[in-house]
Amino acid sequence: MWTKPWNMKEGFLIGGGLIFAGLLLELSVGPVVWEAFAWPANGIVLAGFLAIIAIVFLFRKKVYAFQFIGTYQAAIPAMVYAVVLTIVMGLTRQQVNGTWLNNMLSFWPFVLVYVYIAVILGVVTLKRIISLTSHHSPLTSNIAFLLNHLGLFIALTTATLGNADMQRVKMITTIGEPEWRALTQEGVVKEMPIAIELKRFIMDTYDDGSPKRFASEIQILTKTGKNIETTVDVNKPYEVDGWKIYQYGYDTQMGAQSQISILELVSDPWLPLVYTGIYMMLAGAVCMFVIGGRKRA
Amino acid sequence: MSWEHFIYFAIAAVLLWAVGAWAAWKDKTGMAYTTTVLGLLVFFSFILSMWISLERPPLRTMGETRLWYSFFLPFAGLIVYSRWKYKWILTFSTVLALVFICVNLFKPEIHNKTLMPALQSPWFAPHVIVYMFAYAVLGAAAVMALFLLFRKKPLTSHLTPLTSEMDITDNLVYVGLAFLTIGMLFGALWAKEAWGHYWSWDPKETWAAITWLAYLVYIHYRQLPRHRNRLALWMLIGSFVLLQMCWWGINYLPSAQGSSVHTYSTSE
Repeated sequence: MWTKPWNMKEGFLIGGGLIFAGLLLELSVGPVVWEAFAWPANGIVLAGFLAIIAIVFLFRKKVYAFQFIGTYQAAIPAMVYAVVLTIVMGLTRQQVNGTWLNNMLSFWPFVLVYVYIAVILGVVTLKRIISLTSHHSPLTSNIAFLLNHLGLFIALTTATLGNADMQRVKMITTIGEPEWRALTQEGVVKEMPIAIELKRFIMDTYDDGSPKRFASEIQILTKTGKNIETTVDVNKPYEVDGWKIYQYGYDTQMGAQSQISILELVSDPWLPLVYTGIYMMLAGAVCMFVIGGRKRA
Repeated sequence: MSWEHFIYFAIAAVLLWAVGAWAAWKDKTGMAYTTTVLGLLVFFSFILSMWISLERPPLRTMGETRLWYSFFLPFAGLIVYSRWKYKWILTFSTVLALVFICVNLFKPEIHNKTLMPALQSPWFAPHVIVYMFAYAVLGAAAVMALFLLFRKKPLTSHLTPLTSEMDITDNLVYVGLAFLTIGMLFGALWAKEAWGHYWSWDPKETWAAITWLAYLVYIHYRQLPRHRNRLALWMLIGSFVLLQMCWWGINYLPSAQGSSVHTYSTSE
């Protein structure tokens, strides 16, 4: 144990140590408060996180533990812990106000294991980029590696840190009355930079009465001076000034005669970054299919 | 066209696939290709006519997804065959497709015409079809793992799988995982358009993440210079069990009841 080179055993112990540390944190400071990560805190945390990864990478020759982080023997146990904790999450009922296992996304051991995975992803990405200049391994497999690992790193970190900046509000629009107030998820009334008036609510049903289509013809007035008439369908949101407007609900008692339409307005400033990661992973998956299980030279 | 006509298409397709599988064993490559493709065409013509008569893609109920699964198994088999020329793959894919066809014949489920607005999206077909293809290939990998772990070879016994046999398994997993990734990410892009967020840790999404990570463990473990092939194969079987949980298991999971946006057949 702990004789160099470290192996899977040490990898599992490090992961276990992280989970233990997470449990201590959960006991002492309580669950992770994701709301605290709103801008600019998440920007600062991201900068700090990238700095830590850079330090781990730069000092990998000096500190053996840092070198170990970039190995399969570190990555595999980390992924095994992530699988196990996520299975626990899948088997327990998750609640917004839940604690410990019932609110896995705020449970320190779960969060720390995924942060650890993000560190590993960052370090192996840097390692691979450096080796591009020195080694002559096949270019296609390097591209696939970088798309998959860097893509997942970007998607994981920006989705997690950007979550606190995401706003989701419900606006109840009525025919003939412009509405600019909306309800946040916590039930707080919020004044929006957009006013929406419902012009007509559209509802088609199947023969058995179940809804086939529901949509809203709306007029949008923005503080930036835009005046737009459009139709918002389920699956077809409309985007204006950084807000995506979704068809959410209607007066189900009234059905097709509903005089109101509930719209959801979503703003997610970090979305372009998350999508960058997702598109990289999509390209990486295509590369994975093309290359197959071919062994690296 | 309705499910009553399914049996005729199914019998014709399975017979053609069986001839293709036999031809592959006999090294009649051209014949293997032709009959397998013909079988696929026959089977797909049923899917297509269901699509037309339902006025929506037949992708909603379990029975309908099994239809795609039965289609993609020989399809995946054909791709693997054309790429690596494994003689056994067409036999294997035909037998598996037959199993799913029989499930649909003997345990038909209520299929109705309606498609709720949330599912009316151009993402619907690619999301489910890509996933079904991934499940088919990963199913092939799981059966390969079972075969390598439990085959009986008393005389020329070599308990550890050969490198070439492990390479086959790896190829299947890489192809399956590539499609699993695409299916998952298509789902994320669709979710943003339909529900306002790309990832909500809905039970289906949670189990999709678990399945995805489990296969990642396998491919990383296989990259270790010193690893045990038998353990790697057990990982594949474990991953496929987790995949079943994601596919249909969560419908029976108490923790997922009433909290998943992916259970359409019961929520209306």
